[in-house]
Amino acid sequence: MRHTTTHSRSVSSPRRQFLQHAAAGLGAMALSTMLAEDPLCAGEGTPGALGGVLHHPARARRVIQLFMGGAASHIDLWDHKPDLEKHHGEKSDFGEKVEAFQNGLGPWMKSPFGFRPHGESGKWLSDPVAPLGKCVDDIAFVHNVVGKTGVHSQATYLQATGFQRPGFPGMGAWISYALGSIRDELPTFVVLPDHRGYASNGPKNWGSAFLPADSQGTTIFPQRANPIADLKPQARFVTPASDQDGLALLGRLNRDYLEQRPGDSRLAARVRSYELAARLQLSAPEALDLSSEPAHILTSYGLGNAGQKYPDTINVPEEAEYFGRKCLIARRLLERGVRFIQIWSGNDNSFPRRNWDSHEDIQRDHGPLAGGMAIGTAALIQDLKQRGLLEDTLVFWTTEFGRMPSTQGSKGRDHNPFVFTNWLCGGGIKGGTTHGPSDRWGYKPLDRENPTQVYDIHATILHLLGIDHEKLTVRHNGIDRRLTDVHGHVIDEIMA
Amino acid sequence: MLKLILSAALVLVLSGSLRADKAGDELFRSTVAPLLEKHCFACHNDTDQEGDFSLETRSSLMESGMLEPGDPDSSQLLEMLVGSGGTRAAMPKDQDPLSAVEVQLVRDWIKSGAAWPEGFQIQQAISSDLDWWSFKKASRPAVPFSAGDDWSRTPVDRFILARLKSKGLSPSAEADRLTLIRRLSFDLTGLPPTPGQVDNFLQDPAPDAYEHLVDRLLASPAYGERWARHWLDVVKYADTCGYDKDKLRPNAWPYRDYVVRSWNQDKPYGRFVQEQLAGDVLFPGDPDGILGLGFIAAGPWDFIGHVEVPETKIDGRIARHIDRDEMVTNTLNTFCSVTIQCARCHNHKFDPFTQQHYYNLQTIFAAVDRAERPYDVDPGIQQKRQQLETRIAGIRQQREDLEKTIRDAGGEQLRALMKQHAELVERASMKPKHPAFGYHSTIVPGQGTTKWVQVDLGQPRQVARVVLRPCHDQYNGIGAGFGFPVRFRVEASDDAGFATGVTLLEDQTTADVVNPGLSPWQVTSPAFKARYVRLTATRLAERKNDYILAVSELELFDADGKNIARGAPVESLDSIEAPDRWRRANLTDGIFPQAKDEAAAFQSLEVAAQVQKIRARINTPQRRARMGELARQLTAQEKALGDLPSGRMVYAAATHFKPQGGFQPTRGTPRSIHLLHRGNILNPRTPSRPGTIPIGSGFPVEFALGDDHQEGSRRVALARWITRPDQPLTWRSIVNRIWHYHFGQGIVGSPNDFGRMGQLPSHPQLLDWLAAELLGNGESLKSIQRLIVTSSVYRQSSEHREAAARKDGSNQFLWRMNRRRLEAEEIRDAVLAASGRLDRRMYGPGYYLFMLEKTDHSPHYEYHKYDPADAATHRRTIYRFIVRSQPDPFMTTLDCADSSQSTPKRNETLTSLQALSLLNHRFNLAMSEHFAGRLEGESADLAGQVSAGFRLVTGREPAEAEHRQLVAYAREHGMANLCRLLLNLSEFVFLD
Repeated sequence: MRHTTTHSRSVSSPRRQFLQHAAAGLGAMALSTMLAEDPLCAGEGTPGALGGVLHHPARARRVIQLFMGGAASHIDLWDHKPDLEKHHGEKSDFGEKVEAFQNGLGPWMKSPFGFRPHGESGKWLSDPVAPLGKCVDDIAFVHNVVGKTGVHSQATYLQATGFQRPGFPGMGAWISYALGSIRDELPTFVVLPDHRGYASNGPKNWGSAFLPADSQGTTIFPQRANPIADLKPQARFVTPASDQDGLALLGRLNRDYLEQRPGDSRLAARVRSYELAARLQLSAPEALDLSSEPAHILTSYGLGNAGQKYPDTINVPEEAEYFGRKCLIARRLLERGVRFIQIWSGNDNSFPRRNWDSHEDIQRDHGPLAGGMAIGTAALIQDLKQRGLLEDTLVFWTTEFGRMPSTQGSKGRDHNPFVFTNWLCGGGIKGGTTHGPSDRWGYKPLDRENPTQVYDIHATILHLLGIDHEKLTVRHNGIDRRLTDVHGHVIDEIMA
Repeated sequence: MLKLILSAALVLVLSGSLRADKAGDELFRSTVAPLLEKHCFACHNDTDQEGDFSLETRSSLMESGMLEPGDPDSSQLLEMLVGSGGTRAAMPKDQDPLSAVEVQLVRDWIKSGAAWPEGFQIQQAISSDLDWWSFKKASRPAVPFSAGDDWSRTPVDRFILARLKSKGLSPSAEADRLTLIRRLSFDLTGLPPTPGQVDNFLQDPAPDAYEHLVDRLLASPAYGERWARHWLDVVKYADTCGYDKDKLRPNAWPYRDYVVRSWNQDKPYGRFVQEQLAGDVLFPGDPDGILGLGFIAAGPWDFIGHVEVPETKIDGRIARHIDRDEMVTNTLNTFCSVTIQCARCHNHKFDPFTQQHYYNLQTIFAAVDRAERPYDVDPGIQQKRQQLETRIAGIRQQREDLEKTIRDAGGEQLRALMKQHAELVERASMKPKHPAFGYHSTIVPGQGTTKWVQVDLGQPRQVARVVLRPCHDQYNGIGAGFGFPVRFRVEASDDAGFATGVTLLEDQTTADVVNPGLSPWQVTSPAFKARYVRLTATRLAERKNDYILAVSELELFDADGKNIARGAPVESLDSIEAPDRWRRANLTDGIFPQAKDEAAAFQSLEVAAQVQKIRARINTPQRRARMGELARQLTAQEKALGDLPSGRMVYAAATHFKPQGGFQPTRGTPRSIHLLHRGNILNPRTPSRPGTIPIGSGFPVEFALGDDHQEGSRRVALARWITRPDQPLTWRSIVNRIWHYHFGQGIVGSPNDFGRMGQLPSHPQLLDWLAAELLGNGESLKSIQRLIVTSSVYRQSSEHREAAARKDGSNQFLWRMNRRRLEAEEIRDAVLAASGRLDRRMYGPGYYLFMLEKTDHSPHYEYHKYDPADAATHRRTIYRFIVRSQPDPFMTTLDCADSSQSTPKRNETLTSLQALSLLNHRFNLAMSEHFAGRLEGESADLAGQVSAGFRLVTGREPAEAEHRQLVAYAREHGMANLCRLLLNLSEFVFLD
């Protein structure tokens, strides 16, 4: 099934149309047996391009993507390397010529952090991410992910959109486009950027590119007066009464306009878009208001002393508050029907460093960033689990590439696009698994012939959502584009 | 498809009556060979032989030992395709395994003896078929004639009518005049008609009132502003680079202005194309020849991949490969509607284009990069500039080589000291820094330029001690000691001009000083009394191939140790004044960077002095002389360069430009381009030659250029090939785009793709006729547009007709006009026009719809801090500064083009976020207030103001019921609220 971008896309359901096309193309008999219904689409949402009809039954309906901007080190967080401890300080030898981004090919360097086994699966985690020890039995780690470039921008695009260059929709945009909304009160795809600034490529990582504009990520900055752009009018002349009366009169005039012009569904869609906007105005502030959360929940997310004064240097409690707040908001958004949430940690490469690009000092930056991230993430996973939401929510941790097992300077690490770690957790994922080991140093995959690529991760996520990654295509400038380009295998080994 | 193969195979296998060998050959040809080609051949051909295995011919397959004819289970080939013990099949790699049906076909083929027709060779499937409408030469078709045609005004109509009739459809009646003037005004100028223009047109009794209106609008300067925007959508124009850091392109706008001007001038289309690809060579001395090259540079560019990674590294080569791909893609998509980018990794799957064609096209752009170049200087000066730049680069290289020789000669002792120095500097690193860095002079190209900065104590005062505090700025990785002068003197005087009574406090003008890092520089002078203390740099600090003076603090201590300079006024020869970081006042603000370990900082100075000593010792007089000579030459050449008239700059394709880190100009020497197997930079194959795609006999595929040709002649060859009058693609492509923008749908629905994946023309003859008409009218686009908009088809009503809609629901045959929503720029411009705020001044640098912060590293574009009261932003929206990575949220919700990709047709969405933008964006709220203020001047009473406001957004008087409700609302909530409502009317944002 191929979907071309429509010149005008109405808000009304394209589902019937889809069924007609599908019936013509595949034979009506096949439809009832081959395709699974998405029961949630029957309710308050608006189905996407698949018209509420999945390619196969879904294991998950929602996704939270955690993106560590700047390249988080696999070997200092998830991928324990005893050999680095044994050979720490010895001249590094990769067995081949290596070209590193900033030539950071000093001696082997062990992680500055201790590692310990956790959970029944006995997964070794570094101490900063130890809070996630309680969750490891729900997580599947993939240690042999490979990238294509050590340049942040291209690598971030690759992980976020499946392509190394700008101009392609983010994964969340594809999923919003395909599945539509679960409920219409809130945007389908929400992005919570690092409040200090955007990572590489900024909003292009969650743009809709050639997909309809409503599939793009909506950024929420909880600390701003208007956390969603233009949510409320900020002008003295607008009062609640003028706003309400104005919308009522506008609705009447716009309905008159459409009644005089039959046969154009866009005009009705426009009237409906104003009604949806009014609903969003009510539901968004409520979703972002954490005041009703009990103290123990706030504490678990690192918000026990929210708003306190922090030192100038980077530190764990401050990072935990920032990241934990986004995680808690994410849970509330999920509960209210948001389909895809992307949470970013780390801004651009400005000074002082507040991202994961630890060329200078792994301990200084990775310690607090990882500590804060782990507190929020662990709270989120446990909270979702306790509420029964983890069963059909995928939590996906990623970054643009890993870091080298050799030293840069005396305490830092250079870029390693040759291997790094992703992990997944929740709906349809086989917890407590570790898939695709890296080599003894964490330099490349152990089996160099069979690495995992971003396409495989994306294909797997789409698969769990009931989407065949090869069938979700949109023709753009002569090419049937898809999230996974011409690649991608579903990773059976990490699925329950 | 697969089902067909299967049944064909079954038929053949089951049909015993066929002769076995013939059946086997046929089975192989029709089923097995295509499978092997599709899944295996790309790697296992005679050339690549990956895994020492090729299946290109029977003999190569047999040699490999992978096949046992008649015995599938002993054939390794089959094993590779099936996998064993539940593991995934080993082959094909990185692709899905063959289906059970496909595997069975291979198995059956082997079992039946692996027949292979004599001499048969597997070949990569290439579509070499030029039998496709867009490759056929366009002739000028005869204009059809329909009996009893009283509808057609132009030949265009006759083509349309013939097609309508053949489909059993009829055209719609002409729209009313109000609809027509609104439609025409927006389509041709992107602006609403003023109420006065509406009245004039409605009352104009002339029979050709409509044609007059068309002529007036086509002649309006606003026409170019509207149509340039369409062009910029296609070529991906933006004012920043995109990718990581997303640096500004402060001089991209001259290209945007060039496009506006070219449309207004009705420049012949062929000339417009040629200027954009090779104007520098074809039209020397004409600024448009260089401005047009902004086309090649319009799209995204990876700063990190070019500047921070040199071309010698793999990532640097990938970045440049992708950059060239963007240029090739932009050229072929834009001018020829060909999706050549599909052939980067493999031969085009649907159109007859191979990787060889694609990489030949890459060679056309192999010598150019995206950079700033002057566009209005005399070519002689330009040549001189290039010579000087080459010479300077050479001297720098010699200096670096010499420096290395000296370092090597210093041996172990020097190495150890330098290491110790580095460690001390690390320990001496800085305490957290305050954003007020210090004083910073303007930036100059020559190191020998003199700069000064001085403190005014207000009256002559006793000074015991003078201290200079260096700056810290990570710019270009410099850090501590940033901008500290290499040679300088410190003087005191009571004369602000330092003409008389000057006391020399310290003189460091005869030898270079060691950069103090973060250590304070203590001036060694006795106490003195003076009003002014001046620091004069005679040899500036290097920044990044340019030079500055920067100091964080100048302290003047009295006998009690009190800094009496604190807060004193600062004067200087010049200053970059970029608060908060850099301003004169920062020199006496008491803020300066300090080392964590001051002792280490001092010690580092001592070690640095030792290093200096050793270097002095090992430096032979010859080397010293040579170093001095090189420095002198460099200064002289840089001065000569600085003295050249600079010219105005445009961001465009360039072979000569100021180098920046790893981003070095080719100086006109093309990079060597190879065909890249699967688009992989690490897998180069045959060298490529300047060429293009095949489009039929009489058109070259490779350009005949001499061995010693200039790089520019490659671009000329391509430009001439594109603009040949018999080019089948170019002229159809542009008339189709024009048609698309007038009707909201092209004659070909895929304006960037006339290939087999694109759509077929709905009116092929009309398309060809328009292309011929364009060529016959001096390539004048305005003449084609005039023809189109004066046609009856364009003047139709957009009203729905149920009977026609049942036959042609999408209106592809144009039985009515298409209603459309205004585009993002039209909405914003119309809001400004209604509010009385529209500033019609044309051209110039883009205005910011955001607050720009943190420009030194990754600029932050803070849209939520934009102040809509800023009058600079009330010019037409085409003049906004377009940020590639952080698009304007307001414009984006209104579906403006994404500058990262070619947008030949925009989406048209109606979303709740769009509703919120139009209701609540601070721009619309501010304009509502202006609008209300304007209306107060239009009429004394509320009822009149409401009517005037309604007319400004819809063009018509409100009906009585509408008026009554609107007046009641305005009375209760005020005119600003009413105006906010008017700007949200569907009637405002839709055009009938």
